[in-house]
Amino acid sequence: MSSDEKPADAAAAPRSLAEALRARDDAGLAALLRSRPDLITPVPTDLTQLATRAATRASVVRALERLDRFALQTAQALAVAGDPASYGELLGLMAGHAGDQAVESALPRALGTLRTQALVWGGDDRLRLVRTARELLAPTPQRPSPTGLGPTVKEATAGMSPGRIQEILTAAGLPTTHDSVSAVAALTGLFTDRERLDALLAALPADSRQALERLAWGPPYGQVTADPAPHLRLLLDRGLLLPTAPGTVVLPREVALHLRGGRAHRTPEPVPPAVTAARTHRPDVVDATAAGQAYTALATVEELLKDWDEGGPAVLRAGGLSVRDLKRTAVALDVPEPVAAFWVELAYAAGLVASDGEADERYAATPAYDEWLEQPAADRWSRLAQAWLAATRTPGLAGGRDAKGRALSALGPGLDRSAAPEVRHRVLTLLAGLPQGAAPDPESVLARLRWERPLRERDQGDEDLRTRLARWTLSEAELLGVTGRGALSAHGRALLGAPQPPRPAVEPSGPGDKLPVHHHWTPPPPVPSPAERAAAAEKAARLLAPLLPEPLDHVLLQADLTAVAPGPLQRPLAEMLDVLADVESKGGATVYRFTPASVRRALDAGRTAADLHAFLAEYSRTPVPQPLAYLIDDVARRHGHLRVGAASSYVRCDDEALLNEILADRRSAPLGLRRLAPTVLAAQADPAALLEGLRAMGYAPAAESAAGDVVITRADSHRTPPRTPPEPVPQGPPVPDDTLLSAAIRAIRAGDLAATAPRRPAGTPQAPGELPRTSSAETLATLQAAVLTGQAVWIGYVNADGAASQRVLAPVRVEGGFVTGYDHTADEVRTYPLHRITGVAELEED
Amino acid sequence: MLRVNGPLIVQSDKTLLLEVDHPQADDCRRAIAPFAELERAPEHIHTYRVTPLGLWNARAAGHDAEQVVDALVQYSRYPVPHALLVDVAETMDRYGRLTLVKHPAHGLVLTTTDRPVLEEVLKSKRIKPLVGARIDADTVAVHPSERGQIKQVLLKLGWPAEDLAGYVDGEAHPIELREDGWALRPYQKQAVENFWHGGSGVVVLPCGAGKTLVGAGSMARAKSTTLILVTNTVSARQWKHELVKRTSLTEDEIGEYSGTKKEIRPVTIATYQVLTTKRKGIYPHLELFDSRDWGLIVYDEVHLLPAPVFKFTADLQARRRLGLTATLVREDGRESDVFSLIGPKRFDAPWKEIEAQGYIAPADCVEVRVNLTDSERLAYATAEAEEKYRFCSTTETKRKVTEAIVRRFAGQQILVIGQYIDQLDELGEHLNAPVIKGETTNAQREKLFDAFRNGEINVLVVSKVANFSIDLPEATVAIQVSGTFGSRQEEAQRLGRVLRPKADGHQAHFYSVVARDTIDQDFAAHRQRFLAEQGYAYRIMDADELLTES
Repeated sequence: MSSDEKPADAAAAPRSLAEALRARDDAGLAALLRSRPDLITPVPTDLTQLATRAATRASVVRALERLDRFALQTAQALAVAGDPASYGELLGLMAGHAGDQAVESALPRALGTLRTQALVWGGDDRLRLVRTARELLAPTPQRPSPTGLGPTVKEATAGMSPGRIQEILTAAGLPTTHDSVSAVAALTGLFTDRERLDALLAALPADSRQALERLAWGPPYGQVTADPAPHLRLLLDRGLLLPTAPGTVVLPREVALHLRGGRAHRTPEPVPPAVTAARTHRPDVVDATAAGQAYTALATVEELLKDWDEGGPAVLRAGGLSVRDLKRTAVALDVPEPVAAFWVELAYAAGLVASDGEADERYAATPAYDEWLEQPAADRWSRLAQAWLAATRTPGLAGGRDAKGRALSALGPGLDRSAAPEVRHRVLTLLAGLPQGAAPDPESVLARLRWERPLRERDQGDEDLRTRLARWTLSEAELLGVTGRGALSAHGRALLGAPQPPRPAVEPSGPGDKLPVHHHWTPPPPVPSPAERAAAAEKAARLLAPLLPEPLDHVLLQADLTAVAPGPLQRPLAEMLDVLADVESKGGATVYRFTPASVRRALDAGRTAADLHAFLAEYSRTPVPQPLAYLIDDVARRHGHLRVGAASSYVRCDDEALLNEILADRRSAPLGLRRLAPTVLAAQADPAALLEGLRAMGYAPAAESAAGDVVITRADSHRTPPRTPPEPVPQGPPVPDDTLLSAAIRAIRAGDLAATAPRRPAGTPQAPGELPRTSSAETLATLQAAVLTGQAVWIGYVNADGAASQRVLAPVRVEGGFVTGYDHTADEVRTYPLHRITGVAELEED
Repeated sequence: MLRVNGPLIVQSDKTLLLEVDHPQADDCRRAIAPFAELERAPEHIHTYRVTPLGLWNARAAGHDAEQVVDALVQYSRYPVPHALLVDVAETMDRYGRLTLVKHPAHGLVLTTTDRPVLEEVLKSKRIKPLVGARIDADTVAVHPSERGQIKQVLLKLGWPAEDLAGYVDGEAHPIELREDGWALRPYQKQAVENFWHGGSGVVVLPCGAGKTLVGAGSMARAKSTTLILVTNTVSARQWKHELVKRTSLTEDEIGEYSGTKKEIRPVTIATYQVLTTKRKGIYPHLELFDSRDWGLIVYDEVHLLPAPVFKFTADLQARRRLGLTATLVREDGRESDVFSLIGPKRFDAPWKEIEAQGYIAPADCVEVRVNLTDSERLAYATAEAEEKYRFCSTTETKRKVTEAIVRRFAGQQILVIGQYIDQLDELGEHLNAPVIKGETTNAQREKLFDAFRNGEINVLVVSKVANFSIDLPEATVAIQVSGTFGSRQEEAQRLGRVLRPKADGHQAHFYSVVARDTIDQDFAAHRQRFLAEQGYAYRIMDADELLTES
């Protein structure tokens, strides 16, 4: 056991967290800042400020949430121990009187974690839990501690009459004292003396002891009637139960600990639950399965974007994909909707699909998609996998609702969860910890994650986010081919990057070091840098490449008008077949069916029957079956037999010579005439223009109705399509309602106040118009005072661009380096970082 | 790089593609046959489908999920999708959670090894009327008469029950096969064995492969009174004839129960028609099922089983049931009812395999496309929708083509099969051949068939009455001029007419005459699908080609 704040001797022991931090070396401070990155945003000016910030409630809560279960249990134990507590006392609380080898060996590590994170400071003889943490973790009636311990004798007797305390002393067999303080001390002394307390308990009747046992593991509170039963009365008399409120008694912490054999936790969990392998497959089977799935992933993304090629689904006004479009996509991909959401999100995360940003907004493939298509399969996969690992978007949420009951849609807003990459990485790292080919029991992975972050379990009802993220990670990894049959594949392992290099030794040496490396508390940024990621992805691609099936250059044609591609096809071949035949079945192979419609499609695409015959003969490994050749010829025979075109009008004349004449006339060129039959000309010009043109050329054409009658032309009345009458437009803007009026007045007054409020300098006197300047300590003090008094103050503020402004602020909360308050200048509640506040001045009182 | 170059490709839609030319193809076929249904068997790649029915079938036959997964993984060319393996295991796990057993005190009961499953199915509205009192937490009584019904419903709910309640032996009656100069073919033996082992079920064999003998073989195994249900009287007579010839049964032991005769003997052959005759809202001939303690019920041409017979069959679950068919394709999609009421498929042999073994004749299938004349085209275009098919399938040109084909095969036994009586009469007139249609009396039919068999008549024109179960051993050419729209099984049955092995081993010919560019062609394509999937490749010919040739 050692500490990172190495006191030279007892006399130099730190008296505060700031001093303890000051005594740390750079590595120690770096470890702190790495583990609690919120402490350096913004960068504190000095260690005092760092210590203050490290003790703020928000920051401590965040740090506690990141503790593993045993470190948290240790912190909880410290919260119920004396302040300061010695290492021995802590060990007693954790391991109990009987001792526990596992706890003893794990405790130095847990304590080291707490120290690194500046939650605990002081030497082994004087361990102090940061006050805020103690407040958070110590049991109170409102918030029982997970330890199930109640208040100490001292706390529980705080409001008790001195006379009553002396009575308890007498009943417990202690001499009376002069004052309550010494009486409480004497009682505490009795309860912490194991032998004397044993004797006291032994003298009690069995039912009294049972009543105590019931409360021993918590909750420590019990209900009693106004006239308690005799066996309870005995306990109350001796102070073994102390009243907290009428009808409620509590078991004092000291007594509970004695009954528990000294242990603060019923089940200390010093060792993380192991991730167990449910099944073990041969590593090559795992790799091959994963590679097969990786190939499917590529094919699916390609299919998705092909499906969206000619205009994807519309973007909802709130962003994202409508439920109907997702359903349609799921049907097209032949997968369940959540899986479809995953593929869509994956393509989005990899930058292959995005909104086109047009007025009529739709999703479409990005130019990056075309580049991606050109890459070798393994590289394409590694790009997807990399995007997946780093994405904060969680497709698993799609289809659900957010806290406000709004539907969450795939590709829509509200799907980002910042914990996702970390959980993904952690889950895969745990998988990597298993031997090759071992598929974990998912529950053991989840149990391990819960051990590592126990505090997040607090969410009631549904599973907490981390657990859900972990479940999604397992299923998504399988879909993507990172895992195969549940086990991490070789390329998946490579994708994860090499095993983390050991961190500089900021962790305590001692018994804890004998644990395997991954049992150590690992600093939180498990997401590697982009460069590392790229290198890892490249390595993964190299491993994957030989496992992916080689594209084939042939198909097998069969007489039942199907073609089977016994593997993935080379792109040009696949593209042609997609046009020429319908896909019937997908997977490792593809089954195509030729139908008259599909052949017609190919002919429409500009192929000729001869092309198709040549194509089939070239790529078929078997002779082209006669029915197929016949089908193509049969469809081709009729294809294009009927021709369809657009014309605006026609000229009909029984005299072919006259039509010849018109066609030959140069003046007829603008009419766009074309001969369809000896007696018919089609024109691009509309009938009116045609009539006019022909008349201008000196002919006397007559108009024909649709039925072929000659139309008697008369000027026709012109009408618009149906229209609604115009809405009346009222004069001037609408009359504002009361809410709007009052808000406007308030804003005006606030601006006025900011501009005119005379200021009373708090620090150095200053010229009007200048920013108030005070030292940071003064600023903090003034703001905190303002919170208490509820007064508005005048602050100088420099924003991120360096622009200075003066604002009138009524602070509500000063916390974590930020001040939150009602900004009269802006007329809304705002939060300002303290370090950007140049100074504070009180407002001149009226 | 492929790790294993296996013959099987497992698709994500649960179809299995088997490359037949692969050296391991036969081993693979044997490994997957127990659980995968052969869906298509064209020349290079056979398609199997893994269905829940197939998987449960395999479970019923004693295979477990591990074997299925092993077979897939062992022969697969590419990694098998994990999801599919999981799905296989989960599906197979559903079978046998519920069992139907005989309880010594409560009669037929449904028990479970997994209580929540029982709770789940008992909540179903369709199960409620079928079960009786709850005997204990894991057992519930079932009305014995609802044995078939409950099996059917449980299957639909996805929790198929294992039926261990056994069969009644029925009234014993000695039946032996008389194998003098002939013997059951290996696949027939296999079919009988599979059926007997499974208790009840369906045997699928191509037309002409000797399904009647499978029936006879099964009767010889059962050695009990047997009720045989057939499609029509002619077929009934042929069964009788065949049974007398092949087994120890005598004429007197076999009764015919049809429109004309109502004999009930130890072995009774009844027609579907008489059973489904309804008088005053009831089926008066239903009592036939209860008239004797039948030990075996044989359903011939089970794909034609009429709906009312399904209902009766549901009540016969305690008796062994054998279904026989060439094509378990029902145009009404009630294959799953066949599975749950008659029983699962116990034996299936691809047509081409039997052909390769020489038990059915190789066939040359030709689709002859005729053009409508210009005036016919105009008339076709203006015909009412319901008249269109009739119009184009009875085009004048078909007659010429038919005559040409008949000329070409002059001297051989030729069947001309069609749908429309007018057309057939006209053809009969031109070909100078007798016509058998619905109104032809049974006596007359038998007479004509005999004449045809003896070679006195070379050409016979038949309507769809002759679709099934007429034994015309020497027909070598069949010409189909029209059909029942797109019926796949009709096409297969008609091809079956010429598949009986020929004495001289020569090829059979099957001509389908189709009017080009009309719905006749669309229906023909649909009709041919089953056979094309069985590996019968249709050649397409132009009528002109054929007319100029001859």
